[in-house]
Amino acid sequence: MPAAEVAAQIRESLKSVKAADLKDPQLIEVLRLAQQLTDTMQMFFGSLDRSIHDEFISIASYIARTRDEIAQLRPNDIREQRIPIAGAELEAVVTDTEKATEAIMSEAEDLMSAKPDDLATYKAEVDAAMCRIIENCSFQDLSGQRVSKVVTSLKHIENRVARFASTMGVHDADATEEERAEAERQNRLHLNGPAQGGPETKQDDVDSLMAMDQDSIDSLFD
Amino acid sequence: MAVEMTMPILVVDDYKTMVRIIKNLLKQIGFENVDEASDGTEAFEMMKKRKYGLVISDWNMEPMTGYELLQKVRADEGVKATPFIMVTAESKTENVIAAKKAGVNNYIVKPFNAGTLKAKMTAVIGDF
Repeated sequence: MPAAEVAAQIRESLKSVKAADLKDPQLIEVLRLAQQLTDTMQMFFGSLDRSIHDEFISIASYIARTRDEIAQLRPNDIREQRIPIAGAELEAVVTDTEKATEAIMSEAEDLMSAKPDDLATYKAEVDAAMCRIIENCSFQDLSGQRVSKVVTSLKHIENRVARFASTMGVHDADATEEERAEAERQNRLHLNGPAQGGPETKQDDVDSLMAMDQDSIDSLFD
Repeated sequence: MAVEMTMPILVVDDYKTMVRIIKNLLKQIGFENVDEASDGTEAFEMMKKRKYGLVISDWNMEPMTGYELLQKVRADEGVKATPFIMVTAESKTENVIAAKKAGVNNYIVKPFNAGTLKAKMTAVIGDF
């Protein structure tokens, strides 16, 4: 039973006791104090009910907003469409690139081992091989289009996630143990991968470093 | 002393295409006795069974990287003297220095050409 209802019942009971025309002054005093206590309790429980009610309204509104934001994120679309399609496109890029490279290298290897005894035949062979090499270079157009699709999907996902994080005030959790271990391994084994826009250290600079003795290299970092 | 052109060379890379490119370049230079491995673990096992005149290794491979292979080779009495060239897209200065500290004989940054490979091989194993 809600607190306000209990307080109301007590008050009603007190009213009926008072209305019974009791003559004992001590009992009247006790009843007066009980009345004050009941009024106080009603005020207390009333405020308690209101704050809990307000709290629930606030939680319900937060849940509704979260549900709307998650819907805006469209996680099913990301999981079932965008990520699988992007993965398939990238796999196709790898396959197409491999096939084209394979074909181009085979043509080049055949040419390297061709005998130029008869110049006319040799020239015809070279011309035909060059045409096939050029044809095989068309993989770049397809791969470019596939990669563009992947980039578009990634930007789409990035925008949705960024909007969600910003609206919900999400802060990144700490990295998991597994992620920390992998980052530590990458760092320990210097696994940086290819640099953007060409080698970070050009071959001439690499050669200079290789020519230096270890003390000289160490002194660069002192 | 001139380099023996029939000496066995071990090419270590997880990309078949890159192995094929390096083998072609080696063939162009005159070396045809070339074995291949797809990571450091396989390469080290092969090195324990056959004496190679040169190892040409990529850096970024799984499960054992070229950097780990280099460290393992230099720590093993049986194969520690094998000349080792790193051929890699890892082009940070820290990578070059780490490789040098670990005992690499030369370092080639991808992409590279036959001229660069020949020059570095000459610097490591001598004229051929």
